[in-house]
Order: sequence, then C-alpha cells, then structure tokens
Amino acid sequence: MSNLILLNPEIILACAGLLILLAGAFIGESRAKLLFHLGTISAAAVLGMVVTQAVMAAYGNGTMWVLDPAAQLFKFIILLATVFTLLLSVNYHAIQPRHVGTYTALVLWASCGMMFLSGAMDLIYLLISLELISISCFILTGFEQKNPRSAEGAIKYFLMGGLSTAVTIYGISLFYGATGTTNLFNYVSSVDLHFNDPAYIMGMLFILVGFGFKISMVPFHFWAPDAYEGAPTPITAYLSVASKLAALGAMMRIFASVIPHYAISSTLVIAVLAALTMTVGNLTALFQTNVKRLLAYSSIAQAGYMLIGLVVADPIGRESVFFYALAYLVTNMGAFAVAMVVAGKTGSYELDAYDGLARRSLGLSIVMVMFLLSLAGIPPLVGFVGKFYLFASAVNSHTYLWLAVLGVVNSVVSVYYYMNIARRMFFSESKDVSAVETDIYTAGVIFVTSAATLLMGLLPETFMRIVKGCVSFHS
Amino acid sequence: MTLSYYLALSGLLFTIGLFGVLTRRNVIGILMSIELMLNAANINFVAFNRFLYPGQYAGQLNAIFIITLAAAEVVVGLALVMAIYKNIKSVYVEDYNILKG
Repeated sequence: MSNLILLNPEIILACAGLLILLAGAFIGESRAKLLFHLGTISAAAVLGMVVTQAVMAAYGNGTMWVLDPAAQLFKFIILLATVFTLLLSVNYHAIQPRHVGTYTALVLWASCGMMFLSGAMDLIYLLISLELISISCFILTGFEQKNPRSAEGAIKYFLMGGLSTAVTIYGISLFYGATGTTNLFNYVSSVDLHFNDPAYIMGMLFILVGFGFKISMVPFHFWAPDAYEGAPTPITAYLSVASKLAALGAMMRIFASVIPHYAISSTLVIAVLAALTMTVGNLTALFQTNVKRLLAYSSIAQAGYMLIGLVVADPIGRESVFFYALAYLVTNMGAFAVAMVVAGKTGSYELDAYDGLARRSLGLSIVMVMFLLSLAGIPPLVGFVGKFYLFASAVNSHTYLWLAVLGVVNSVVSVYYYMNIARRMFFSESKDVSAVETDIYTAGVIFVTSAATLLMGLLPETFMRIVKGCVSFHS
Repeated sequence: MTLSYYLALSGLLFTIGLFGVLTRRNVIGILMSIELMLNAANINFVAFNRFLYPGQYAGQLNAIFIITLAAAEVVVGLALVMAIYKNIKSVYVEDYNILKG
C-alpha cells in the first residue's frame, strides 16, 4: 500500500472528473465552456505530474500495478490525446451546454482507465481498467442523443464490446484455473510450468480477443467504422488515438514482456492477424466515400502496422512501436481536427466536401496533405520514420521479412486513398468558395500536431533517443 | 461432485451465450446472452477456487468484481437501447442499418 503515491496522477485525474461533474450541475448554460477549460487544465496538470515523475525516475511496483518508463510514455501519450480531445470539443456544435460537465468528466475517467491500463500487472486490475475505458467510451459515442447515427454507432460498439469483454473474462477465468493466480508478478517464474496446458493457452488467446477488440484488430474490427462514424468527431479522434494506443501499450507489456507470445507459441497467430489487419483495413478504405469512415479504416490499417512491432517483440520492435505510437498520435489527431473543421463549415463528412478546399483555405489544405502523407508514410514526415523503424525491426528479425514486405505493399495501396482527398482539395472545383474559418482552439491543436509531425520527421534521432529511454518494461 | 461438472456447466453456458449473441435479433436478447457468458466465467472462477486452490479467496473475489462490472455494463447498455429506441423505434438489430460501408 505504501506505493499508492505512485498512482497519484490517476487519483487526481479521477477526482478532477468528479469535481467537474459536480460543477456541471451548478454552472449556468451560458458559461458551460468553462468546464472544458477546467478539464483541459486538469489533464494538462496531470500530464505535468507524469513528466515530473519520469524526470525524477520515480518508478516502482505496487501490488497489482507497476510504474516503469514504458507506462510513463503511454500515460504521456494518453494525456496529450485527452488535452487535444477536450480542446477540439470546446466549439463542437452537437454537445449541449447542459451536458458539458458529464462529457468532460467521462473523457477524464476514460483517460484515467487508460492510465491504469498502461501499468496493469494483474488481470483483474487490467479488466477493470478496460471496462472503465469501455463504459465511458460507450456513453461518449452515443452522446449526440438526437442523432440516430450516434445512437446506432454506440449500440454497435456496446454489443461488440460486451461480447469481447465476456470472452476476455472467460479467458481470465481459464488463466486463473491454470495458474492459480491472476497476478502477473508472481506468475513470471512459471512460464515453463504451463507451457503446454491447453486451458492456459486458450485463456491467453481469449484475453487476446479483448485487446484485439480495443485496438480494432481484424477480425474484431467491425465496430470501429460504425462507432467512429456515429461518435462526435472529437470522440472519434479520442477512440482512434488514446483508446487504441493504451490497449496497444498494455498488449506490448503482456504479450511482449510478461508472457511473451513466442513462449506460448502464438507468434504466428499474431503475425497473421497483423497481416490481415493492415490488408483488410487498407483494402476497405479504398472504397469509402465518408472521411470519418475512411480514417476509421485507415486507423485499422495503422494498428496492423503497429502489430508488426509486437510480433517481433525484441527491444528494436518495442522501440519502433513506441515511436510509431507518438507519430500516430500527432498525425491522426491532426487529420481528425481538420476533418472536423471542414465538416463544421460544409456540414458533411462526405469526400465531396473537400472539393476545391485549397481555394477556400490554403493553409488547412496544406496541413491536411501533410497529415495524409504522414499517415501514408512519405518522407520527410514522421509517419515515414515510424514505418521505417517498424519495417526495419521486421527485416532484422529475418523470420518476419514477409510482414515487412506486406507492410510496404500496403503503404503503397494506402497512398491511393489518402491522395484522393488531396486531389479533391487541389484539383477539383466547388460551387461554394467562401473561406473556411478555424476557431482558435482547433487551430491550436492543428498547429501543434502539424509542427510535431514535421519536427519529429526532420529530427527523428532526438525523439528516438527519448523513446529508447522509455523502452524498458519492468517485470 | 467434481470440478469437471462445474466446468461442463460453465462451458455450456458460455456456448449458449455465444450462440445467443450471434443469432438473436432482439437487442435485449443479445444483452441477456452476454450476461450468460459473464456468469459462465463466474462459475469457472468459483469452481477453480473451490477445487484446485481451496486456501485462496482470489477466485471468489474476482467473481464479485465481475458481478459488479456486469451490473455497470448492463446499466449503460440499457440506456443505449433506450436512446436508440427513441430514434429508430425498433429493438431489432437488422433495423440498425444507417451506418454501413
């Protein structure tokens, strides 16, 4: 219990959520935006705490959790995504003023669950963090009550989420039966003991389903496009960045460090799923006409690329996943921010809305092209560097050279649909030529993310050095 | 009574639940099937604890955690069903088809 102090950031964030929920009941509708600011400030303050902890190297173990450099890196990513999400929400039209308190509190609690998840070392603790994320995100997805799309996205998300939770819990019960504990600290020494126990291997595969659902791994990805399209756009960005990366972090901890997948001979399963994830994501994205759906399928494909690092699972593989996580955070957040601005002006998420955007707002178009190029992996942007590290780790391992080749082929395919948006912006005409304005909060997010996309691409060594310092898992 | 009876029961419940989730058309029916699957896991936890690790409490504690989680989840689920029923006036999943592609 003495180490509870290490969980202070999470505790403070949860309390801030409670206070904001309470404040929401007392603040008049005209001043509701204050709550977004309070939420942003508390997330930023906790971000400061996490960085301070990292600088002071205040690491340690709890009974069911661990605070190590890897957990700190993912907490940093999650909190950054939370700050961006709340800033994007400030001027989002569909959130009613009287629900701002609930909305902000739910975002903070989901982030709190993600922070717990990134340090989980006990399967029950892990399950409760996953549920805290899921339940908050179900509500957030269905937040536009009057919008049937939002409700439908939320119910589909909920049904698939409930199913995957049930399968995960069943897996944990099998794991408990095979090992007599749900705690992963005590477990480590006995890998060999359970090597061939079918209940144990089945349990681990069932647990993989739960993670697969969260990171939208094929074949558990069916909820993603519907939930992403239905959800309020800031929440779409949040789901695609924070929720996915937090689950990926925990997945790296469990399947690449604590119970390595090669020790339970399931590497090939994960490799095939990674290959399927990127291929299905990219091929389906080719046929999309709605930007939110397109970005949803693109983010499924991105999860596939990141799974390559998990398959390789050596220090280089881990480094590359962590670096790609940072790259994906800034790039995808920026792309959704631009999509939100365009939809705010034109009222539509269809691709037609991008016709002639360059003439209406040149800055926005250039930045959007940058994000899309980075997602496709074109130098000198950060997406290229990230993909380079990922594919290099696969090439290094020799066994998974085919994954790297498939990854490169997929990147080439993805250029087509990303550049289709760019083509519409620069080479198509639109009837409406009025300028597209960006409010100050969204502009701030777009500025920061685009600057990071460019800087991290130009100076990858500097950022890679930071990431290398964060790569060690405690076990 | 041995462990295998309990495991068979939980396996059966899990399968019935999974079958229900995949074949039911009614959202409430799917919700109930998910609950069945959760309870299958609970039976597993308690049975493993009783027969394999009799000195521990971990399995029983986990079961209590899961009952609580299931309750929290179903509250949100029913609220979402209400929300979509107000919009679409149907509880059958095949009517939820605005989003596709």
